Amino acid sequence: MSNENTAGVDTDRIKKRLDSRKAKMKLSLAACAHCTLCAESCFLFNARDNDPTYMPSYKFINSIGVLYKKKGVVDRATLEDIRDVVWGRCVLCTRCYCPFGIDIPEMIAFARNICREQGVFPDYEEKGSIHAG
Amino acid sequence: MVKAKRKPLEEIADAISAYGKVLTVGCGGCVSVCLAGGQREVQELNAELELTLKEKGTSKTLGNYTVERQCNMDLLQEMDDMVGGYDCILSMACGAGVQLMAERYPNIPVFPAVNTVFIGVDRDIGMYEEKCRACGECVLAYTGGICPVTRCAKGLFNGPCGGTNNGKCEVSQEIPCAWLDIYERLKGQGRLDDILKLQGVMQWQNQLQRTVVQPKFEKRYYK
Amino acid sequence: MKSGSNLEKILAAGHFAFTGELGPPRGANIEHVKEKAQHLIGHVDAVNVTDNQTAMVRMSSWAAALLVREMGLEPNYQMVCRDRNRLAMQADILGASALGIRNVICLSGDHQQFGDHPNAKGVFDIDSTQLIDTVRRMRDEGTFISGEEIDGLPKMFIGGAANPFADPFEWRIHRLAKKVEAGVDFVQTQCVYNMDKMREWVKQAVDMGLTEKVYILPGITPMKSVGMAKYMKSKVPGIEVPDDVIKRLQGAEKGKVAEEGIKMALEQIEEFKEMKGVSGIHLMAIEWEHRVPEIAERAGMLPRPVID
Ligand code: SF4
Ligand code: SF4
Ligand code: SF4
Ligand code: SF4
Repeated sequence: MSNENTAGVDTDRIKKRLDSRKAKMKLSLAACAHCTLCAESCFLFNARDNDPTYMPSYKFINSIGVLYKKKGVVDRATLEDIRDVVWGRCVLCTRCYCPFGIDIPEMIAFARNICREQGVFPDYEEKGSIHAG
Repeated sequence: MVKAKRKPLEEIADAISAYGKVLTVGCGGCVSVCLAGGQREVQELNAELELTLKEKGTSKTLGNYTVERQCNMDLLQEMDDMVGGYDCILSMACGAGVQLMAERYPNIPVFPAVNTVFIGVDRDIGMYEEKCRACGECVLAYTGGICPVTRCAKGLFNGPCGGTNNGKCEVSQEIPCAWLDIYERLKGQGRLDDILKLQGVMQWQNQLQRTVVQPKFEKRYYK
Repeated sequence: MKSGSNLEKILAAGHFAFTGELGPPRGANIEHVKEKAQHLIGHVDAVNVTDNQTAMVRMSSWAAALLVREMGLEPNYQMVCRDRNRLAMQADILGASALGIRNVICLSGDHQQFGDHPNAKGVFDIDSTQLIDTVRRMRDEGTFISGEEIDGLPKMFIGGAANPFADPFEWRIHRLAKKVEAGVDFVQTQCVYNMDKMREWVKQAVDMGLTEKVYILPGITPMKSVGMAKYMKSKVPGIEVPDDVIKRLQGAEKGKVAEEGIKMALEQIEEFKEMKGVSGIHLMAIEWEHRVPEIAERAGMLPRPVID
């Protein structure tokens, strides 16, 4: 059903995880109007000269959004890209504000959970390891 | 950031000895960065515990999980469904995280698996240095950006004392003398006047539990 | 008179002062205090009673100070910042004054790590310079640190320490100036072996006008052996022992090293008697109290002046 090289990824487990919060995830992804209002409330977005890839909405769409769209069938490289977004571009300060009530930090934390479960997380023993703060 | 160091294995094993099902919980924040209590350290600790238990001819159910930040209730609550299956929790977060965990799950014993050591900086991977003791009355303005509360062994405000020794503190040849560094830095900046003045006694602010409410939010929290 | 202590009177009258040192015992043994004090009575103007010296628990300095006072020896009550916060310190100043102690020496104290309780919590609430300022304020302004008024002002002649030999040398005189600004009446220095540096430091103090406000008493500790000299040179922070001192001791005849050490101390005392800006000496004959009478005699310090 997919041509992804999913070696080393327990896609069933990801799927099960996604299902556990499916309703909320679906609603959140559908509710995002791309209004970019959340951007202003993210100190990292401000600190990074308004780089759009630091926008809270960008971060959750490019993490949990990807996992949802692919129904959990992703390769390791994709998980690693997600890792770079959810750890490298967000410190989970939980301060972003979405006028539609989307809990963006919860979604980002959810993506981190899934990555952790697959053994994909930042390696602080490595020089130059990702570290948004 | 907060820096911590894992407790000795025996101490941890001793703390959980009376419990059969133990959940080891890491923190994705500061303790991950300083390699004391992140996801990897959770796995390492459980593996070590498994081994000692085996040597002693016993076994336990050892669960593991890592919360993104144990000092944040929103992020902690995702454990709500999980903790019921355990007899105790081993928290690998700093003291703040351990306490919030214990507050969230008041019926489950929570044990610290790390010693929270200080607020400090990363010197290199695996090497951290203390910089601040959160005195609440920062004096760095007149000390050239070098903290005498943290770095001077005697916490002097009118140093350097007579023990400074080849640039080192009298307590150890390994520890640089804070006040010699303060002197050199201020001299370099032409600011020795700052320490020629007699500095009055410190108004310590870290003697009661403190709460910070930023001015913008005072209306929200104080009626 | 600020306190009316014997030491203050001696110094105010322009006599060359002579102070000694006494470490309280590691127990409640009064005999031990008496035995040490015996050698000092009549030979020194006042004796420093140390406060948990080297961060080892000892009989409290105020108690030992009272004991020696009863014996007719004036105590310089030492107080370190390591073991007490500002409440305890101010309280002890009042108590000591009420019981007749008239000299106090304000010190930081050796770090607890050096002692027998290395994991004790060091207090260091205020530092030695601030303690000097505190005692002066209590005595002269009649207020506590808090600004509250004191009922019955403590009478204290305020002492402090100075180390001309620690780094950076050019800062040392300014540190003395800070203590003078804080209100110190006399300072005793770290043991002097490097006379060149000492002369330079005293000269700076004279030039800056500090010696008009503070009495300087250089610290003298006779070397007992070559080993002691080497140990002090390499192991004791803040003490500077020039090589020629060690050479001179090494050159002494067998069995005469201690005598050579005493001779060197006597020479230093002679020079200090003539040195402008120096008002006396502080003899730290560590665990050598019984030699104090002899050293005092040979240094021409006896008899000590008596002033009513
Ligand atoms: S939680 Fe992440 S996205 Fe939200 S404001 Fe903080 S850093 Fe930005
Ligand atoms: S719980 Fe402690 S270690 Fe974890 S993020 Fe918070 S402060 Fe840092
Ligand atoms: S003076 Fe206080 S707040 Fe400032 S760095 Fe030192 S301990 Fe921290
Ligand atoms: S040697 Fe320096 S750091 Fe050590 S106690 Fe003295 S002034 Fe402080």
